[in-house]
Amino acid sequence: MKRSDEEFARAAKARFDESVDKLDGATLSTLNQSRQKALAELHTQPTQWLRWVPAAAVATTAFLVVTVILPEPANIQPVPAEVADMEILLGEDSLEMLEDLEFYAWIDMLEQENDVG
Amino acid sequence: MSAESASFAVSWVSEESTGTRALQKEQQLNRFLAEVERRALRIAEIGVRDRDDALDLVQDAMIKLARNYSDRSSDEWTPLFYRILQNGVRDWHRRQAVRNRVMVWFGRGKRDDEEFDIVAAAPDPIGRAPDEELQNSEAMDSLEIAVQELPRRQREAFLLRTFEGLDVAGTAVAMGCSEGSVKTHYSRAIHSLRDKLREHDETV
Repeated sequence: MKRSDEEFARAAKARFDESVDKLDGATLSTLNQSRQKALAELHTQPTQWLRWVPAAAVATTAFLVVTVILPEPANIQPVPAEVADMEILLGEDSLEMLEDLEFYAWIDMLEQENDVG
Repeated sequence: MSAESASFAVSWVSEESTGTRALQKEQQLNRFLAEVERRALRIAEIGVRDRDDALDLVQDAMIKLARNYSDRSSDEWTPLFYRILQNGVRDWHRRQAVRNRVMVWFGRGKRDDEEFDIVAAAPDPIGRAPDEELQNSEAMDSLEIAVQELPRRQREAFLLRTFEGLDVAGTAVAMGCSEGSVKTHYSRAIHSLRDKLREHDETV
């Protein structure tokens, strides 16, 4: 930069600084109030980990939507027959049937006798 | 000392050190804002030609800096603060442009005689001689008008480099551009202002 440009910049800065020094009391008071409001922000800031809470909530919601709500019935794979049989065998009713096995054998025997008779 | 009381003492010392750090940060930010706020106001005022709007913009910039960047190193605060402020000034101009279009549509555009009068708005508490005061006010008035007429990027480069005293790197951060662009805009601004203010060259 030329020397004359530097002198011009210095002179302009001097005029600017004078205008800054001339700011009235009401304006300075308003600036002070603004500064206090800004500093009060420091006390209302959430702690570091709390900043991630909204993001975590969104991620959890998205995960639930994708895994629970979105899957269509057509996309669900049919359960193999063997698995269905196991469910029936392991069901509560099946266990009761095993306990009364003698009773069912007796009914079966009566039915066979009737068929013969 | 039992393990429990030792644990309490460590926790208490840790909390006290966190509190001390927070207090130091608050004091540091207070000093920074107090040091920069008056120049920032005048720079914003030159940008928007309205003191009340400039005060609002400076307050917004202070709050955003405290909210979002108080954890950064204090060396970074000046360019970050001015970047926020310049963005605010840019948004203000966009809003004004929209508002003026709407007002013109309804036939209620701003009149030419409602322009901001910098001389009337700036009393002189220092008590200089009227002639000297008039000369200085006129010189600053002319300078402000010339700066306001510069293209936006040149104006930003000039205000930040000359009035705030930021270096090229800091100005580049504040303007969101390369250092080369800052040098170009600043050089053009200086030459343009010198041409415009040739008649005031001895006072400015």
